[in-house]
Amino acid sequence: MLTGSAAVSISGLTKRYGTLIAVDHLDLEVKRGEVFGFLGLNGAGKTTTIRILLDLLRPTSGHASIFGHNCQSDSLRARGAVGYLPGEMGIYSDLTGHELLVFLERIGGKSVSREHRNNLTRRFELTERDLSRKLREYSTGMKRKLGLIQAFQADPPLLILDEPTEGLDPLMQESFYELLADARNRGRTVFMSSHVLPEVERVCDRIAMVRKGKVVFLSTVEDARKLASRRVRVVFGQDVAVPISLPRGYEMVEAEPRRWIVRVTGPLGSLPSFLAAFPVADLAVEEARLEDVLVKYYRDGAE
Amino acid sequence: MTVLFTLVVQLLRRVRKFLLAAGGLLAGFQIVLILQANSIQASNSFAKMGDLVPAFARDILGPSFVAFLTFKGIVCLGYFHPVVMGALVSVSVTIATIPIMEIESGFIDLVLARPVARHWVLTRSILAATIAIVYLLVMMALGTWIGLSSFAAKDAAWPSAALVGLLAMNLGLLMLCWAAIAMAIGCACRRRGSAGAIAGLLALTAYLTDYVGRAWKPADSIAWLSPFRYYTPFELVMGSALPAKSLYVLGGIAFAAFALAYALYSRRDISH
Repeated sequence: MLTGSAAVSISGLTKRYGTLIAVDHLDLEVKRGEVFGFLGLNGAGKTTTIRILLDLLRPTSGHASIFGHNCQSDSLRARGAVGYLPGEMGIYSDLTGHELLVFLERIGGKSVSREHRNNLTRRFELTERDLSRKLREYSTGMKRKLGLIQAFQADPPLLILDEPTEGLDPLMQESFYELLADARNRGRTVFMSSHVLPEVERVCDRIAMVRKGKVVFLSTVEDARKLASRRVRVVFGQDVAVPISLPRGYEMVEAEPRRWIVRVTGPLGSLPSFLAAFPVADLAVEEARLEDVLVKYYRDGAE
Repeated sequence: MTVLFTLVVQLLRRVRKFLLAAGGLLAGFQIVLILQANSIQASNSFAKMGDLVPAFARDILGPSFVAFLTFKGIVCLGYFHPVVMGALVSVSVTIATIPIMEIESGFIDLVLARPVARHWVLTRSILAATIAIVYLLVMMALGTWIGLSSFAAKDAAWPSAALVGLLAMNLGLLMLCWAAIAMAIGCACRRRGSAGAIAGLLALTAYLTDYVGRAWKPADSIAWLSPFRYYTPFELVMGSALPAKSLYVLGGIAFAAFALAYALYSRRDISH
C-alpha cells in the first residue's frame, strides 16, 4: 500500500566516507506522477543518493522515504514499490536474458504480465532468440535494454533509473522516451539520473542539480528554460556599425558588418525598439536551451 | 520462502558445473585409493610398509599409525587426505564468498533493489554451502562404495558404513565451519579475492598448526585453536566413538562465524 504523499522524500541526507562527503544534507521531494531529473557531474552524489534510497548504502545522517516508507527501517516495503535500473548492470553471464527476467520476477514478489513483458521486449527489439541467448553474448546496448525491461516489467509505481540511455543507440533512446511517456500517462513516477541535458529537457517535468553532494538548482524544466539566455541572429540589408553599448541584458557574441549574434538574457521586449534604427533584413531567435542554464551550475555551482 | 527457494536454486545452478566436476574428482579419488589399497593388499605389503617407518616416527604417530596401515585405513584415507581436505575447503570458501563476489560484480544490486531482505542472501549461501558439502560427501561415499564393490579383494576388511558415515559427518561439520569463517571474512572485505586469500591462508595455517601439534609438543599447546583439531579421523578408524566435544566445538565455531557474517553483512554498505 502506497501511503506517503510524495513518491520520494529526502531530508538532511548525508553520506560520508571518512573525510569525503558524498552527499551533504540533501533535501529533495519527488511528487507522485512526475518525471524527475537528477543531474550532476560524475562524483556529484547522484548514484550515492539512489543507492541510499534502495538501502544499498546506509546514510551517515538524515533520512529518505519512498511513498512514506523509510528507506532504512521499512526498506522492504519501500523497495517493493520500485523498479531499478543500475548505472552498471552486474549480471551472471551464464544466464540467458529470459532466465534473468524470470529470476528477477520471482524474487520481486509480483507476477509480471506476459503481455506487458512482450510489449517491452518488442519496444526494445529483443527477439525470443535474443532472450534465449547467454548474457555473455550480449552487447552493451542489449544489456542496457534488458536492464530497462527488468526495471519496467513489474510495472512498479516508482522507477529509479541511473543513466538510463547510456549505451543505447538513438532509435532505442526514442523507444525509451516513448516508454517513459507511457509510464507517466499511467501515473507512474520516474526518478532518473542523467547528465545528458537535451534528454532531461525533453522528458523531465522537474530537475534538481547536485554538486558536491548538495542540491544547487531545483526547478521545473519550464522555469529553468526561462532563465536561459537566447541567441538572436540579426541580418542587415547593408553594412552597419557595431554599437558602443548594448541595452542591459544584451551581449554581443559575434559582430560582422551585415550580421550580429546577440545573447539576450530575460524577455525580448526591448529588442524591436533597439533594432528599429537599423536596416534589419532578417531576424531569428533560437529556442532557449536548458543546457545554457545548467552548464553554469556544472562549472561553478552558482546560486 | 519462495524467494529463498529461488535464490538457493539460482545459486546452485550457477555452481553446478563446478560441483559436478568436484564431486566426480572426489569420487574418482576414492576409487583410486581403493585400487591402491587393493594392490598393497594383494602383494601383502602392509606389514612391510610398517617396518619401513622408523621407530621414533611410529612413537610420534602412536597406535593410530598401525590402524592406518591396513586396507581399511587406506580406504578411509580418502576422508582425511590433504588433497581432499584442500579441495573441500576450497569448495566451501568458494561458495561462502559468493555474496561478496555478487557485491563486487554488481549483481546483488538487482537482487537487493527488490523486496529481498539482506539476511536472505546469506541464508541462501549457507543453505547452498550445506547442500554442496553434503553432496560432495555423498559423492565420496558413493566412490568408496563403487570402489569397494567393484575392485576390492574378497578377503579385504572393508570399513563399515557407520565408520564412513562418522568420518563424513565430522568432515562435513569441519567444512561447514570453514564456510562460516570464510563468509564472516568475506562480509568484512571489499573484494572476494582478498576474502578467499585470507580464508585460504587461515585454513592452511590452522591445518599446519594441528598437523605440527600432533608431533611436536610446543605446537600442541596452541593446536586447540585450530578447527582441524576437532576432526579426529585416526581415532575413528581405530574404533573410537566420535567425540561429542568435537561436534560441539565445530558447530559452535560455525554458528558464531555465521552470526558474525549476518551482523557484518546487515551493517555494511553494498558498493562495488
